[in-house]
Amino acid sequence: MNLLEVRDLTMHYRTKKGDVSAVDRVSLTLKQGEALGLVGESGCGKSSLAITLLRLLPENAQIRGGHVFYRCKDLLKLPEEEARWYERAGVIKEDHVDLLKLPERHMRKVRWKGISMVFQAAMNSLNPVYRVSEQIVEAMQTHNGVGTPEARKRVAELFELVGLNPNRMDQYPHEYSGGMRQRAVIAMALACDPSLIIADEPTTALDVIVQDRILNKLDEIRHQLNMSVIYISHDIAVIAEVSDKVGIMYAGKLVEMGPTEVIFKRPRHPYTAALMSAFPSIRGEKHELTIVPGEPPNLLQPPSGCRFHPRCPHATAICQEQVPQLQPFGEEHYAACWNPVQR
Amino acid sequence: MAAIAQRHYEAPWRAKLRLFLRGLSINWELFKESRVGLIGLAIIVFYGLLSLSYPILMATIWDHEIYNPVSGYDPVVVQQGGQHPAPPSARHWLGTDQHGRDVFSQLAYSARSEFFLGVMAALITVIIGTLIAAASAYYGGFVDTFFMRVADVAVLFPVIAFLIVLSAMFDLTLYSLAVVLGLIYGFGSITIVLKSQALTIKVKPYIEAAKVSGGSSFHIIFTHIIPNLLPLSFLYMMFNVTNAIFTEAVLSFFGLINIQMSWGMMVELANIGGYLTGEAVTRYWWLFFPAATSITALCAAFYFVGRGMDEIVNPRLRKI
Amino acid sequence: MRKYVIKRVAQILLTLYIYVTIVFIIVAAQPGDISQVYISNPRIPQEARDALKQRLGLDQPLHIQYVNYLKNIVTGNLGLSFTNYPQPVWEIIKERLPRTLALFLTATIIYYALAFQLGKLIAWRRGGVVDYSATVSGVVLWTVYTPWFGLLLIWIFAFQLGWLPIGKFIDPLKWRPFIKYISPNDVFNYILLYGGGGFVVLFSVYLFAQRLLQSYWARLSVNVGAVLLTAGSLGYLLFNTYPMGYLAQDILWHMILPAFALTAIGFGGYMLLMRDSMLDVVKEDYVMAAKAKGLPDKVVRDKHAARNALLPVVTSFVLSLAFAVDGGIVTETIFSWPGMGLTLLRAVVEEDLPLAIGTFVFTGIFALIAHLIADLLYAYLDPRIRYT
Repeated sequence: MNLLEVRDLTMHYRTKKGDVSAVDRVSLTLKQGEALGLVGESGCGKSSLAITLLRLLPENAQIRGGHVFYRCKDLLKLPEEEARWYERAGVIKEDHVDLLKLPERHMRKVRWKGISMVFQAAMNSLNPVYRVSEQIVEAMQTHNGVGTPEARKRVAELFELVGLNPNRMDQYPHEYSGGMRQRAVIAMALACDPSLIIADEPTTALDVIVQDRILNKLDEIRHQLNMSVIYISHDIAVIAEVSDKVGIMYAGKLVEMGPTEVIFKRPRHPYTAALMSAFPSIRGEKHELTIVPGEPPNLLQPPSGCRFHPRCPHATAICQEQVPQLQPFGEEHYAACWNPVQR
Repeated sequence: MAAIAQRHYEAPWRAKLRLFLRGLSINWELFKESRVGLIGLAIIVFYGLLSLSYPILMATIWDHEIYNPVSGYDPVVVQQGGQHPAPPSARHWLGTDQHGRDVFSQLAYSARSEFFLGVMAALITVIIGTLIAAASAYYGGFVDTFFMRVADVAVLFPVIAFLIVLSAMFDLTLYSLAVVLGLIYGFGSITIVLKSQALTIKVKPYIEAAKVSGGSSFHIIFTHIIPNLLPLSFLYMMFNVTNAIFTEAVLSFFGLINIQMSWGMMVELANIGGYLTGEAVTRYWWLFFPAATSITALCAAFYFVGRGMDEIVNPRLRKI
Repeated sequence: MRKYVIKRVAQILLTLYIYVTIVFIIVAAQPGDISQVYISNPRIPQEARDALKQRLGLDQPLHIQYVNYLKNIVTGNLGLSFTNYPQPVWEIIKERLPRTLALFLTATIIYYALAFQLGKLIAWRRGGVVDYSATVSGVVLWTVYTPWFGLLLIWIFAFQLGWLPIGKFIDPLKWRPFIKYISPNDVFNYILLYGGGGFVVLFSVYLFAQRLLQSYWARLSVNVGAVLLTAGSLGYLLFNTYPMGYLAQDILWHMILPAFALTAIGFGGYMLLMRDSMLDVVKEDYVMAAKAKGLPDKVVRDKHAARNALLPVVTSFVLSLAFAVDGGIVTETIFSWPGMGLTLLRAVVEEDLPLAIGTFVFTGIFALIAHLIADLLYAYLDPRIRYT
């Protein structure tokens, strides 16, 4: 079985004006050591999906259904009896635990040790009033119960690993440059040897060269430690190079998913196709750059049927009426469209 | 020709007015969402009506001799075997005080001066604060340093202590109190807050554009920086009204202001008369309770409106 | 850090200078001069008035008066009080300052700690009855008409319930046997010394525990132990020393009500501020990151959110210091607590100008020192300031 299996995950935000369907019946799988890129316009629910996996949702969020199976039974170190009880309740299946049903006190053990995260605008995910080393040591001591000298040694190692000078670990975040902070945040994410890192817009707000270096570093570490990574970005070009497969999200739905090469060469969903032609490519064939016409839909009242149909050039009557399901289009390649792009 | 031109092109003032009204209605929609803001507004309207009721009642059903808040006296109560202070009745809605004056009349009469003082002081504060903030942010350098040091002092100025000392040397009236309060607050913390806001406006591209296209400093400050500061200034005005009303109430309680009647003075009179100790507190509640509650309520009301406006002015507080 | 401290101290001195100058300008700008305050007082003849004028240097040009005035303030020579003639103003201030200090410090520490804790808790559990009622009572306490509030407290606790004394700061009957050789001020200094000492000990234990001990329970037990030990030894001093402890009891007994009033007045505003600040901080990424790290809820709340939410609250402490001083004046007046505030008011009512000005200048100095302390505390709390 896979490291992570998300099935039919649905999440809403309750607001004064009504429910916002931020994540709608999303399913995806991830193998050990694999890198997945999640791409979509801002507000399409990709970040919401990420924080749902870790159950870090704001108060007004409500998980309406679905399962998140994650291989982390060993990590919980449950007493035999309790483990059996959870198995009967369907929370634990073999090595996998349904994170959505896990009680909060156990969920805490999964956070950072099972799945860690590099946050969107990572600049702000370091607490300004504590030394960088303190913040990394804190994570280690919460989960592994190591002594301070030992933990600090590990911080120095992590700093080496991400390409930072260990002498600077006792400085405060404001003394770091943007790129350094990003590396420090990655070092923090690695602190408890998680099997999966979710990197939410890990390099936005950095200049292109630093962006590239940091992504390559993260990719290198991933191969070295055989971890899985979920990259989240609005910019497909940024993460294409480091992802094994790519998922395209639109208006809270996963509309297409497949190996990176295939998605680039043979996108099936019209939205993916439009996204591809919106970016220039140096190596690929020459093509007209187009923009995706129209606005992202209002998720308070998502369009009926396929959520993309108001903007879709290929829309037909059925698109307005019925929600398309993910269909296989090749090995590990799925798309949810009534009129897939033929090439 | 002229008629055609008018039909096709809206006059600038008209377009501005239309935009202004639209902005107003959008802001009103946002303000309506804040419950405390509406409560505050309701209280302010209530006291507004109360202060309006004074001249109306005086002109219609009230006898000047009896109902004057300062010099009135009601002999009828005594003739009927009662004594002052008399409890609330149909004749005196909130009773009378120890000198036989109508408490409701005092309350309504004072409401007007509280509004006058609060709004006047706050207006002076906001005008000074906005001008200094805009100038400090725009010019920087010496102007900035100077006004910021002054603000440091003004912030640390114990206003009530200062006014107590001032009352020993000058005659403090409602007007001079409003001016002094406006000055102290105007040079104080409001300039610090508004300046930091003005600094964020100063770096906006349209300021640069105005400079490049040859706009004078005066022009830029008055047409670009200050209009953008106004929402925040207006917000702080609400909090300053609260401060001013509160300060007046405390000072007139100390009996340091040359004023005919005010809510603070009503409480002071009750205190001097010994109605705030022992059994008298429950027996003669109308002497101080309406006045003291009014001070608290009106202070809270302006604070509430400020909170409600805060959600319009500072979008960070807007709910999802 | 050192550079920052030096810069702040220099700024404070400059501010102090401006403050003192403004006071001088106001005094000089008043119609007439000090001697004319007594023009309607037939007991002071013209000759006495002239002598006074000469002694105060009022016959000299303004700039020389100004220089003398500054010299006098630096040397503490603030002239003689009219009402307590011939007692020097400085003596009176020296006597009254500890009383205000005791009240002010007690109230400030209590309401700050309370507002911090409660604001933190209600923001963390936002919504619901507790949040709503705490917010409403916070606003009421913040906007309540303080003289009335003080009188209400006296009425409830002194008249109706009879639990606490009505006002004043000592019970003369209890003091009669000692008044010859112990002045109330000795006792005040005694209270300030031991109380302040106890607080410093507690605070440093707390800081060290925070730094050195990792486990939550170890820290808790050390802190609780320190509180018990300090309270125990202070209690021993209070109840077993005679007459110092006995007299201190009397003063503390009288202090409860005014301290409570001052605490309540200050508490509301800071609690609201802490709540707002906390609600802002909770949205920050580092709080989400702390949660994602799997830290227990309490650690996220206290160590990450509340620690940052405290910063704007400390800033506003500086901005509202004057407000606190004003609140102190009202409280002292209502409870007849003979500190700086009441002295100032009495001096003004009795037209004792040297005393009024002296008290006012020292109130300002007092506020400035508090300002400096708050500033340094802020620098301690925020490394972004400390390391630039």
